[in-house]
Amino acid sequence: MLKRIVLALLFFLPVITRAQVRTVTGTVTSARDNTPLPGATVSVKNTSIGGVTDPTGHFSLQVSDPAATTLVVSYVGLQQQEVTITGKPLNIILQAGAKDIDEVVVVAYGTAKRASYTGSVSQIKKEQIQNLQVSSVSKALQGQVPGLQSTSPSGQPGSDATIRIRGIGSINASSAPLYVVDGVPYGGTLSAINPADIESISVLKDASSSALYGSRGANGVIIITTRQGRRNTKGSQIDVRVSRGISKRAVADYSTLGTNDYFELYWEALRNAATTNGQPNPAQSATSTLVERLGINPYGPQYPEPVGTDGKLVTGAKPLWNDNWQKATQRTGQRTEANINISGGSEASRYFISGGYLDDQGMALNSGFKRYNVRANLDLDAKKYLKVGLNLNAAHSIQDGPPSEDSRTDNYIQYGRLMPSFYPIYQRNPDGSFIRDASGNKVLDYGDYRPSAANTSTNLVGTAYLDEHKELRDDISARIYGELTLWKGLKFRSSFNTDFINRNNNDYTNPDYGWDAEIGGTVSRVNRRTLSWTVNNLFTWDATFHEKHHINLLAGQEAYKLNYRTFDGSRQGFVKGGLTEPVAASQLLDFSGLADNYSLSSYLGRATYDYKAKYYFSASLRTDGSSRFSPKNRWGTFWSVGASWQLNKESFLQSAGWVDLLALKASYGAQGNDNLGNYYAYQGLYTIYNNLGEGGAYKTRLPTENLKWETNLNLNAGVDFSILGNRIGGTVEYFRRRSKDLLYQLPLAVSTGFDYIDANIGALRNSGVEVQLNTIPVRLKDFTWGLNLNFTHYKNTVTELPQKEIISGTKKLMVGRSVYDFYIREWAGVNETNGRPQWYKVNADGKKEATTVYANATQVYAGSALPDFYGGVTNTFSYKGLSLSVLLTYSVGGKVLDNDMLLLMHNGASTGRGWSSEMLNRWTPTNTKTDVPAVSTINNSWTSTSTRFLYDATYARLKNVTLTYAIPATLLRRASINSLSVFVQGDNLVTWFGHKGMDPEQSVDGSTYYRYPAIKSLSAGLNLSF
Amino acid sequence: MLIKKYILAFLVAGTILSGCSKDFLDQQPTNAIPEQELYKTTGDIETVLNGTWAYMMDTYFTFANPGYSAILRASDAMGSDVAILTSKYGYPASYQFTDLPDRTIRRPEYFWRLLYKVIDNCNNVIAKVDQVTGDEAEKGYLKGQALALRAHCYLTLANFWQFNYRKDPNAKVVPVYTEPSTSTTQGKAKSTATELYTLITTDLEAAVKLLQGYSRASASKHKINANVANGLLARAYLNMGNWQLAAEKAAAAVQSYSLMSGADYAKGFNDVQNVEWIWGHPQIPSQSVASYSFHFLDVSSPASYYYSFMADPYFKELFEASDVRSNLFEWDTLPGREGLLRYKKFIFRSDMTGDIVLMRAAEMYLIEAEGYAEQGLLPEAAAALNKLRTARNATPLVITTQTKDEVVQEIWKERRKELWGEGFSLSDILRTQQSVVRKAYTDASGNPVRVSVPRGDGTFKTVTAKGHTSLKFPDGSAYVPNSPYYLFAIPIVESNNNPNLDK
Repeated sequence: MLKRIVLALLFFLPVITRAQVRTVTGTVTSARDNTPLPGATVSVKNTSIGGVTDPTGHFSLQVSDPAATTLVVSYVGLQQQEVTITGKPLNIILQAGAKDIDEVVVVAYGTAKRASYTGSVSQIKKEQIQNLQVSSVSKALQGQVPGLQSTSPSGQPGSDATIRIRGIGSINASSAPLYVVDGVPYGGTLSAINPADIESISVLKDASSSALYGSRGANGVIIITTRQGRRNTKGSQIDVRVSRGISKRAVADYSTLGTNDYFELYWEALRNAATTNGQPNPAQSATSTLVERLGINPYGPQYPEPVGTDGKLVTGAKPLWNDNWQKATQRTGQRTEANINISGGSEASRYFISGGYLDDQGMALNSGFKRYNVRANLDLDAKKYLKVGLNLNAAHSIQDGPPSEDSRTDNYIQYGRLMPSFYPIYQRNPDGSFIRDASGNKVLDYGDYRPSAANTSTNLVGTAYLDEHKELRDDISARIYGELTLWKGLKFRSSFNTDFINRNNNDYTNPDYGWDAEIGGTVSRVNRRTLSWTVNNLFTWDATFHEKHHINLLAGQEAYKLNYRTFDGSRQGFVKGGLTEPVAASQLLDFSGLADNYSLSSYLGRATYDYKAKYYFSASLRTDGSSRFSPKNRWGTFWSVGASWQLNKESFLQSAGWVDLLALKASYGAQGNDNLGNYYAYQGLYTIYNNLGEGGAYKTRLPTENLKWETNLNLNAGVDFSILGNRIGGTVEYFRRRSKDLLYQLPLAVSTGFDYIDANIGALRNSGVEVQLNTIPVRLKDFTWGLNLNFTHYKNTVTELPQKEIISGTKKLMVGRSVYDFYIREWAGVNETNGRPQWYKVNADGKKEATTVYANATQVYAGSALPDFYGGVTNTFSYKGLSLSVLLTYSVGGKVLDNDMLLLMHNGASTGRGWSSEMLNRWTPTNTKTDVPAVSTINNSWTSTSTRFLYDATYARLKNVTLTYAIPATLLRRASINSLSVFVQGDNLVTWFGHKGMDPEQSVDGSTYYRYPAIKSLSAGLNLSF
Repeated sequence: MLIKKYILAFLVAGTILSGCSKDFLDQQPTNAIPEQELYKTTGDIETVLNGTWAYMMDTYFTFANPGYSAILRASDAMGSDVAILTSKYGYPASYQFTDLPDRTIRRPEYFWRLLYKVIDNCNNVIAKVDQVTGDEAEKGYLKGQALALRAHCYLTLANFWQFNYRKDPNAKVVPVYTEPSTSTTQGKAKSTATELYTLITTDLEAAVKLLQGYSRASASKHKINANVANGLLARAYLNMGNWQLAAEKAAAAVQSYSLMSGADYAKGFNDVQNVEWIWGHPQIPSQSVASYSFHFLDVSSPASYYYSFMADPYFKELFEASDVRSNLFEWDTLPGREGLLRYKKFIFRSDMTGDIVLMRAAEMYLIEAEGYAEQGLLPEAAAALNKLRTARNATPLVITTQTKDEVVQEIWKERRKELWGEGFSLSDILRTQQSVVRKAYTDASGNPVRVSVPRGDGTFKTVTAKGHTSLKFPDGSAYVPNSPYYLFAIPIVESNNNPNLDK
């Protein structure tokens, strides 16, 4: 290309040919980490002459214009610099700016310059993603994007985070954003994408930016763009990144009672129950039945009744063992990650080929995630008028995901938590010594004597590695496009995109030990296959008139189809141990399978116009037909308008030298949501339920013929600025999202035979402010400190309902309240005279009165699960080759209902289950002012949902710390190495949270559900490029 | 060259656009049938009845609530003769009267939801069966079965959600629906006991007529025939105190069924083919949700998870030694379980399934006996009762100077002995307006009773015999007749969403 320009110049400008041709060479490096910058743009000021740096940061330009005196050097994310051309090789160091003024962001069906874009978009780059040790990219966004709320409801490696953009857009329909990978909606799983392959992630938040994805963009759009090679590289560049580390749980588990406390307290529970029952000698009965009830005597046969009738341990009684199940059912996980990629390009092609390996072990026994990735991205200029491209990603992963996030007794996370220390892990003789087998090994204790609440006949320590809870995942994604240039600026682009997912789950319990030993073990195999494709055909036309009017038009059609198929079977009774496949189990229990189809057909168009690159206007229109609705109500139309104004290009500001950028923008539009979780919601359906070999079906769904799209009306107004030599920059935005025709499961009287009917009801509003501030407080020759902050506040309000109130679980919907306002019974403390739990009952006259009958208490509003504000703070320090980045995330306000701890707070009715240390503070005649009622083996429902277990959800977390050292380029050049750096990084190292034992990251609605806790990890590695 | 690229463009676009056929957006489920496709033939009606039955019997709400049989288990857990092992999962809260009377707890909600779902499906069948194509007699059978099943649900609601009919026939019980629910159906107000029983008896009388001539396969005892409908009628009339009709319908129900042998009594109550079973739900490995009940009921199989339905030692004392039923008692010998009293009535089959018994000839003889006794026909009552006693090798009742009440008491006692674990405890307590009776198992001076228990190795060990552990209502008060603690609550999800409920 350069050659051709030179040739052209030779031909048209003979005068210049007489001038001397100079060769200008040099190196471009980044001040951030002192590494060479490949791909930096170097051009001669006021000419079209230019080029890019090679993988070692070198450039070489042929300059013939004698007037050429200055080079302009730029690189995405760094401050542009002008350098005077001298005869010597130039050494150019690019400084980081607080704000990348010329940042190009990926938006719907194309890219745009961020500053001039009318919509609201945030972008994070590969560096920010690489720093985090996440197995799913969804977990990399927390604290990095204003307006985006991310919680990781599970720490299970390979699981995804829950993302909400600008509040809760829907109640029952999905509030999850749409993921777009390389330009088209992604039907695969996020954990199948190797974070190392990602160039950037764009988060589209307003109508102007996401309405073009009309049907599915109502909750925002997250666009993931994978990496691509650069044109005109000399040879290929190879990047290698390896790291290794360890992981543990981020927050210590709840503290529980030891053996002595447990025995005394359980004695008290027995005594109190016997008193209630009117038994003649309650204390004696408690003393004599204690060991029998718990099933074991850890004090040895010397003390057959270890707790005396005074409720105290008998003098001299000491537990002969104290086994820590919590510790025994956890481990320190190992994490290994290795990535390699090769990229480059010629004049007419670009390529990026990568391979990745990840082995991320969890903290729970036999849990983890392994992934093998390959990717090939290829772009070709096949003809002058034809471009084609192919992005191919394949991932095979293995998730060992034992039961967690489940109230099941075999939940691996709860198992150790709920097991008290007096049940031995290995079998013991009455004197406390270990029972050993013939070869002298300890023998696991499966505890057939244990009560149900202490997992009778199981021992997770023994079976964790014998049983299997495995999911094999195969993900293949292909993005193929062809683009024809039909006429000047008029292009036609057609693309075919498909995502294939196969999930093969194997749940196996061994025939020899534990849960299913008596029935010879069980195996259940489930296969789920999802194939989705998107085809689109788009015309674009781009033209500039009179150098002032710039128009860009886009129009086209898109179709999407999803096919989901499953089959599953289960068998039991294995022939012998060690065999795990269904064929080896003798009895068929079940075989079934089903298929679902979902399709969307769309037509879309967009127009953007700008005048002198100062005033920008955009408008879009899209119509979608969804198979989820009846033919009458299938089509929805969505649109947007937007405008932005580049104030800094106005003459009155151009003179003010301290303003680098000032832009105002606003947009408004409508987007749709059809995802109410069911593909056939408008129909009245009878679910098939066969009976004893005969066909059967029963009515499960009432028809809603008129069901239609939920619509989201989205207003955005904001300002983008950068001042003081680009030292301080940022974005401030206000948004108001109004969702109407909410898709909702309207509850019915259960006696009609139906719990709910799907309907479009009411409206809600999310309004808020988000702020992103990027600053460089210190910028010296060798030292830079960058400080980035983001902050989001929003308010969620129900604005319209078909009836006065709708109570659903722990929440109540009412106009003026939020969808996640807790509506639960108010704890009234423990009755000081009898030790019973109490709740408030509001009488007809409005007066509050304490009652000991839970069912009689009144439900009241008790605060919202949504935070008041949340965000993140990133500090980056760089000194010569050393750089340190620290990301802190925070969430302030909101409530969380701790359901997990309830299991440890039983009043004594769950014999043999662990007890929280808080139980020591239970009511007794001498301890009457307490919030823990008297213990008893008779259930008192005190752990029923109430404000007693509602906690402040405010927390902060040191999400990531990364320290990197780049080996100086001068040392590497001789070895033909472009760059080499080593790093140490830690995730979730510190958590600040008031309620001990619980992990603060829980589900968005503020209720916990026995989850796999967040992981703390520490690793070290190196990055090599040659 | 230009031509080439336009051709290329239109080829690509054309191929893709033509792929979008007109029905591209029409998608149908594969695991469900749209309503308009059903109700065309009698086969479709049969499909709905089958599906409804499977739903009712084999739907897990939780492991402790495996379909309809959970209601039967709860009824026994809340009675006098089952001493629930409270350290085991499942029924301790019912046993302690802390779940079913509480409208905020899920268990009464599950039961409520289960019964009304079945009622709505029956309403659909009843409303639509006349319009489908098919044999008229067959339509009659299907309609009869739907009427009887609906009546069974309403009878269950009448049994547990309000005191007995005779206590207050005008008491409001539960809402009644007789038409299929539609998108606009509103929740209804509670009907009175009289209204409810009128519907139940009318439906069952109609069902009996419609089912004349219907016969079912011997393995399909879940299907309702005239015997079952008569048996349900007998139960309904017994509740209402209509003694004559109760005795009459019970006699009709038991026709062509005989009592099982003493040997069969010990076979585990898991086989629907048992000669005595009139109504029951078969289980197979691939449809075994209801079998989960056996994990609670079966106290002797090693594979049984919970074995929590232990017998009260006082219950054992009701039996004579010669009674074949008394052979089922056994003091538990396993470590950690010694001193518990097993009543080995229910035993898993080897494939971990067990059929669910819903109606037996024995119950019908007992209803017949009670019906006669209440009418003062004591010899007839004794005759009916003695058919059962003889079969069980128990001493027959000889009528000499007994009063009517004494005979009735004798029959009630026999019901407890014969029907233990089959779901009649609480419903009988409510029906007869008696109180739950539970005492700590102690000797005369209040000390625990010690029993000698054989251990696996042949040695004996003396341990404390264990009986009831919950002897008072949760508020500490004593058990009384007609206590609100006996009633199942209307769940809060119903009252929250049915503004008409108490109108």
